Amino acid sequence: MKTPAACVFIVDDDEAVRSSVRFLIRSVGLQAQVYRSAQDFLAGYDPRHPGCLLLDVRMPGMSGLELQQELNRRGATIPVVFISGHGDVPMAVEAMQQGAFDFLQKPFRDQDLLDRVQRALARDTESRSRLAARAEIQVRLATLTPRETEVLQLVTRGKANKVVGAELGVSQRTVEIHRAHVMEKMNASSLAELVRMVLDSEHPTHNP
Amino acid sequence: MNGELQALLDACIDAVVIIDHQGRITTFNRTACRMFGYASDEAVGRNVSMLMPSPDREQHDQYLARYLQSGTARVIGIGREVTGRRRDGSEFPASLAIGRIEGHTPPHFVGFLHDLSSRRAQEAQRQAAEEAVREARERLTHVARLSTMGEMTTGLAHEINQPLTAITLYAQAAERIASQAKPDLDEVLVALRQISAQALRAGEIIKRLRELVRNRQTHEELLDLNAVVRELAVLAESDARVNDVRLVMDLAASLPAVLGDAIQLQQVMLNLVRNAIEAVQAPGCERLVTLRTSRAGTGVEISVSDLGLGLDAAIRDRLFEAFATTKPAGTGLGLAISRSIVEAHGGRLDWRANEPRGSCFHFFLPAVNNGESE
Repeated sequence: MKTPAACVFIVDDDEAVRSSVRFLIRSVGLQAQVYRSAQDFLAGYDPRHPGCLLLDVRMPGMSGLELQQELNRRGATIPVVFISGHGDVPMAVEAMQQGAFDFLQKPFRDQDLLDRVQRALARDTESRSRLAARAEIQVRLATLTPRETEVLQLVTRGKANKVVGAELGVSQRTVEIHRAHVMEKMNASSLAELVRMVLDSEHPTHNP
Repeated sequence: MNGELQALLDACIDAVVIIDHQGRITTFNRTACRMFGYASDEAVGRNVSMLMPSPDREQHDQYLARYLQSGTARVIGIGREVTGRRRDGSEFPASLAIGRIEGHTPPHFVGFLHDLSSRRAQEAQRQAAEEAVREARERLTHVARLSTMGEMTTGLAHEINQPLTAITLYAQAAERIASQAKPDLDEVLVALRQISAQALRAGEIIKRLRELVRNRQTHEELLDLNAVVRELAVLAESDARVNDVRLVMDLAASLPAVLGDAIQLQQVMLNLVRNAIEAVQAPGCERLVTLRTSRAGTGVEISVSDLGLGLDAAIRDRLFEAFATTKPAGTGLGLAISRSIVEAHGGRLDWRANEPRGSCFHFFLPAVNNGESE
């Protein structure tokens, strides 16, 4: 599947605001799509589409916060930048606590918005490549034999070949051969890299 | 004159003055003495014109002569309001009734005078009191409007912030485009047009706000209530939005004109819409408020309905009483003032249960005859 270009999704119930934000985003050569409500956005949203979300906190119907909760529930990782109006700071704080990427208070300077959009897009790219890498590791792990998997688990816990051999009841030489196969199949150049791969596959990537 | 008749005249609470055909005073009772400041024997024998200010004073002899010649009565048997002149030259209003005394040739005339100065003073006092009440009502109405606007600040600030945000972004984007090596002028034009449209939008909000906040006298004019509602929309909608409520305006296709004060009527509608918005905040209520205009009989009905919990009978009875409130921060004046505004417009503000649930506050305003506003 060819990945589409990153897009800035804009959800705001005020026509003038969403059009002006789209105008600004497009003026720097980025793609932008506007939605008048949270429901409209959800109806057309494809989580495979890279990008970031600019979200008005306060909207009739489903609010920005509720949309964020729904995206969290669906496991979507799209970074959300909240745009809050006057006096909505408590809502913005709540949004941040629920994992929003950032927020902006209206009216704001274009550069502030563009900086946040760029950072959010970078975050999205980063988390998508990490997800892709994790998926790749899973594919590689699946190619290991049961014996190789046992060896992998023991050596990544820091056990020496001799100890692994003793635990599995095989010779140190056999362990070394399995270990070489594991390194090859996992495409790891060092034990450290192998350990990182195993950790990444066991624990979902945490966003820093 | 016999003693009985004299006693009768002196007991009379009106001044009684009898004159002969030349205007000479022949009888001047006690009340007349008190009213004009002359003793009876000072007045008797003198011309009655001394009791009048100019120009009657100079012309009374002619009036009398003309009547005697033509027989055409101008005052006799009719009665009128006149001005009397006291001995000290001061004047006072009085009602005068004149009768011709039969049995004398040439005829005599009797005049009854009733001093109106105290009645006039009472009337002036009553007018001043009415004026004071009207002014107090206008002040109170204005204060209520100010307090409503105060409560709406958050929504209004948000509403003004929207066009400002759009203006800022368009201006900055246009600047960015214009400073490129080969600027796309069409794009710059798009931004400039949007900037002016949004500046006008912000201006419109501020204009509406100023009109409601301004202290002003009642100003009645022929109104198309749909237009009055539309003017209010920007403010009412901002309040609905900030409270996460959908406000639907359901306006009749056309309405007959009514006579009224647009700002005060907007105040009533805003008050009702805000109450409705509050009513649907109750848990489990659909957050929908409808502001409707419709033709009703010989006039127009305005109604604001909500899907809230409705009203208990106990609250219903005291709904429009001043200082009766169910809200923690309410003054209890909103509905009382609204009703007094509607009543001053010849209408009546009332409550009925809304279908399928909630409240419907409605008021009727009589149409002006032949005043169709299409």
